[in-house]
Amino acid sequence: MAERTRFTLNGAAVEIAAAPGERLSRVLRERLGARDVKVGCEAGDCGACTVLLDGAPVCACLVPAQRAQGRRVETLSGLVAQDPRARALAESFQDFAAAQCGFCTPGMMVAATALLRETPAPDEARVQEALAGVLCRCTGYRKIVAAVMAAGRRAGRRRAAEGGVGTAIRRIDGAAKVEGREAFGDDIAPPGTLEIRLVRSPHAHAAFTFGDLETFAARPGIEAVLTARDIPGLNRFGVIPAFADQPVFAERLARFRGEAVAAIVAAPEALRALAAEDFPVTWQELPAVQGLAEATAPGAPQLHEGRPGNLLCEGLVQCGDAPAALAAADVVVEGVFETSFVEHACIEPEAGFARIDGEGRLEVHACTQAPMMDREALARILSWPVERIRIRPTAVGGGFGTKLDLSVQPFLALAAIRTGRPVRLAYSRAESMQSTTKRHPARIHLTVGAARDGRLRGFDFTGDFDTGAHASWGPTVADRVPVHASGPYRVADYRARTRAIHTHAPPAGAFRGFGVPQAAFAQECLFDELAAKLGMDALEFRLLNALDEGAATVCGQVFERGVGIRACLEALRPGWAAECAAAEDFNAGGGRRRRGVGLAAGWYGCGNTSQSGPSTIRAGLRADGALVLHQGAVDIGQGANTVIAQIFAQALGVPLSALTLVGPDTDLTPDAGKTSASRQTFVSGNAARLAGEALRARILRLANAGPGARLIAGGGRLGVLDNGKTHEINPARLPADSEGYVLRAEKSWDPPTRALDENGQGAPYAQYGYGAQLAVVEVDMALGTTRVLRMAAAHDVGRAINPLLAEGQVEGGIAQGLGMALMEEYVPGRSENLHDYLIPTAGDVPPVEVMIIEEPDPLGPYGAKGLGEHALVPTAAALANAIAAATGVRPRRLPITPARLRALIRAAEK
Amino acid sequence: MYNFEIERPGTIEEAVAALAAEEAQALGGGQTLIPTLKARLAAPAKLVSLSGIAELKGLRREGDRLVIGSGTTHAEVAREAAEAYPALAALAGGIGDPAVRNRGTIGGSLANNDPSACYPAAVLASGATVITSTREIAADDFFQGMFTTALDDGEIITSVSFPVPQAASYQKFEQPASRFALVGVFVAKFADGVRVAVTGASEDGVFRWSEAEAALSEDFSADAISGLSVSPEGMIGDLHGTPEYRAHLVKVLTGRAVAAA
Repeated sequence: MAERTRFTLNGAAVEIAAAPGERLSRVLRERLGARDVKVGCEAGDCGACTVLLDGAPVCACLVPAQRAQGRRVETLSGLVAQDPRARALAESFQDFAAAQCGFCTPGMMVAATALLRETPAPDEARVQEALAGVLCRCTGYRKIVAAVMAAGRRAGRRRAAEGGVGTAIRRIDGAAKVEGREAFGDDIAPPGTLEIRLVRSPHAHAAFTFGDLETFAARPGIEAVLTARDIPGLNRFGVIPAFADQPVFAERLARFRGEAVAAIVAAPEALRALAAEDFPVTWQELPAVQGLAEATAPGAPQLHEGRPGNLLCEGLVQCGDAPAALAAADVVVEGVFETSFVEHACIEPEAGFARIDGEGRLEVHACTQAPMMDREALARILSWPVERIRIRPTAVGGGFGTKLDLSVQPFLALAAIRTGRPVRLAYSRAESMQSTTKRHPARIHLTVGAARDGRLRGFDFTGDFDTGAHASWGPTVADRVPVHASGPYRVADYRARTRAIHTHAPPAGAFRGFGVPQAAFAQECLFDELAAKLGMDALEFRLLNALDEGAATVCGQVFERGVGIRACLEALRPGWAAECAAAEDFNAGGGRRRRGVGLAAGWYGCGNTSQSGPSTIRAGLRADGALVLHQGAVDIGQGANTVIAQIFAQALGVPLSALTLVGPDTDLTPDAGKTSASRQTFVSGNAARLAGEALRARILRLANAGPGARLIAGGGRLGVLDNGKTHEINPARLPADSEGYVLRAEKSWDPPTRALDENGQGAPYAQYGYGAQLAVVEVDMALGTTRVLRMAAAHDVGRAINPLLAEGQVEGGIAQGLGMALMEEYVPGRSENLHDYLIPTAGDVPPVEVMIIEEPDPLGPYGAKGLGEHALVPTAAALANAIAAATGVRPRRLPITPARLRALIRAAEK
Repeated sequence: MYNFEIERPGTIEEAVAALAAEEAQALGGGQTLIPTLKARLAAPAKLVSLSGIAELKGLRREGDRLVIGSGTTHAEVAREAAEAYPALAALAGGIGDPAVRNRGTIGGSLANNDPSACYPAAVLASGATVITSTREIAADDFFQGMFTTALDDGEIITSVSFPVPQAASYQKFEQPASRFALVGVFVAKFADGVRVAVTGASEDGVFRWSEAEAALSEDFSADAISGLSVSPEGMIGDLHGTPEYRAHLVKVLTGRAVAAA
């Protein structure tokens, strides 16, 4: 019955028999092989699937394929091959590092190509407008807009592809991203692969019973129905094994809306023919606790046995005597601060593919931040030895912490094993939002005191964090927050207590900062209030109390070098003075718009908290002369592929182009740990440095050369130039090991930490990174809207391995912090899509002046520190302080939506 | 998405005939209907695509009126109405993002009558006439509450005829990301009086703010409405704003629209 539809795809005539109503995006990807078209929402919200239809950008997910009849369809891969404007964009996107994860890049570049065809040299506003329909979660848009403007003008700086530590080179994986060749979680499975559909709880808390599953499973086209009883091992997982409490399939009771209870495995057509109500399950909705107050109320429904009061765990750090110091302080301020669930909103929904290989091993291709953890968790669920499981991470279309936890992997594994056939699963946007982790909502009560001279006297913090239905990273948040809640300051009398509390909500887990941005919001806002009460300038107050080298942190840890907060704050000083003066002038003019300038600082410990967290990097010289780097640190867009390789190449003493890279694969790369806690540059970077140095030493020994010798590598040849003489090494003549290596080096590095005692005293991190940000906002006092005009950010990264990518982390972190501050609030059942859940668009992110501060860290590779999470820590606080400066009212709840801000302004007007 | 058939008629008559079938629904640009189908909020067995009907497209002047074919996209209105009716062109150019404007149509927007869509405000404030396959409907009769219109089953909007006001402005409070109007106010000044239409605010969909119209017809200045107040009763309350906030926005935006007109 399907009629034939004919159109041209990238200039070639195509003819397909689309199913009635089949989306153009699906037809392009699954029938015509155009996997460069990405699907992020299927609702026209994210724009990742943007294609040109007769030259005009449209969301392919909103075009029924039949409507393409007789028309011209162009996608990124065709444009890059055929249109010089797209080719210029491809170069420019790489020069500006405008693609981080690369998932939105096809949509961005297609929309930009249409723009450049119409307006060859667009201005900034025109570019922002043209890209308004394509969402990016990594970059903060500024580099994308700059790349488009530069491409239009054939201007902009050409970046080299080659360069050692400290050089702003292009990403080594950039070309694949801008040409649409990068393969993400849903890009691996061949068309026609069996698909999985999950049956999920429609209620936050419900008992359920299945009907006749056997009869259902016997329907034509259905290959398997899986429930908890089909799990051979443990129906439980969690990123922290001691707290593992999350079932793959809920048993009898669902604890959050969206929790999976069953999986249907079927051919794609059979799945499409199924309606949700066809599946035999009966729900009985039960009273649910939503929010911290309900969860901790007497008599509240309890989520887990053995966790009375819905209390998952507690954290504590204390030193000195906070209550006594506060009692003696000259000035005291206090406040209660609240934040919301924040959704990661990776533009790539969780997706993957699994199969059983010829040897009966399971192979899982999925987007992940933690392949080794995935393997161990699957081994427990399947009751299989880890050796029978191979995790092959795909490109990751944004992670930010949420892809540390399992999502699609157990379903893929169970279905592949049950059916013996390859299977695929891609979460819909709604599924992704319902079921994956969120940032913890926090309720923080903070009291801070100071002496008349401005020095801090007493700091008492209590914070409750809504960890949702399951533990996930709740314990990490409860542990990290008390260590960081002081901010990068000297606080002699300190107490910080935290609790992670269960509610019937999606699990709250890791999200860029692990609770620290929430704590910084409270602390940095109160510091402004304290400075005001003391009559001190907000910057001078922070400088007066800033942490110094040789001074103890609240954990009693002393860093003799590499404490960069003072340098960060000083870097903002000129801007602070100028912007404050400019805002005052502007406001003197009256009018409904008021300007304000705000500051905030932050710090963040890199690596696991007082726990071992090593990385191992392997490298070797093969008999064919290839210098191979086995690099298992997953690049989720932040740039580990490039940065780790730059460090290794520098240590080895060869150009990047001489390296052959082997990316993350549990069969091929040793454990480089998880991509989290801002640890990859620091920890895997150190392992790469050590591996590079070790391999170099072996090569030099072979040539009997001194340490200053130069390696000449490339083209299958390896020479050692020492004292003017070149010693040629012929690898083919050396004995090779079972993997084909004639020389190899494998090195691990684990940051030295010390356990925290019962008062949280010890050495939780081997290094901290520091940052300070300045925000200039304009508030429309009548509407309550906030426009962010400018931001400046000074971040101490120790040493910028790649300054271009470091800038990208800062800009991207600020964009997410801006969303958290002003618009993002996830409410289960109400904002499960990207038009009710708002994330910043191209027009929402202001220019960001990034100042890279380099206070070398004695332990970091070439002095480098972690950065990924730091960039977001102070942002919401800086914006809140700017809004308070503009309006005279003090927002204490995030997000500061126009309605909330207007209500505060109105209350103050009365 | 479940399966449905798509018919692509070439004339209005063919479209009307196709829509006579059981459970058939007209498909404009698809920017709202397609996601709705995905969410299974609607489940027609057959979609009748109007995009292939040439007579539904384009703008033309008819005396002092501007007539816009129902299949005209927002991008086309933004471009081609700029001279004849700048406030309407600006409204069209501010809908959604380029991808939406390249596909979405004025007819689709009006037939759907989303409570936060922009076009209903322009049509109601302009006192436009909605012309369908069977009749002409005055704007005041067309909108009948959110997602509800005077259209009968199988009736297709063919064009909208706008009287062009002496001065007009549309001011909307834009949602970031979606750019849907949290509240939008269209003010149109004609020789015989001022019309003010508000979208995004009321649970009853687009409405005329008659007190403001009376005040502005006397004195077309932002000051003229400063003494008025809007009741939050019946206003939408959701994640993005309370009824009180929306009521407040109605007044602020009306004042700004008058100032900008």
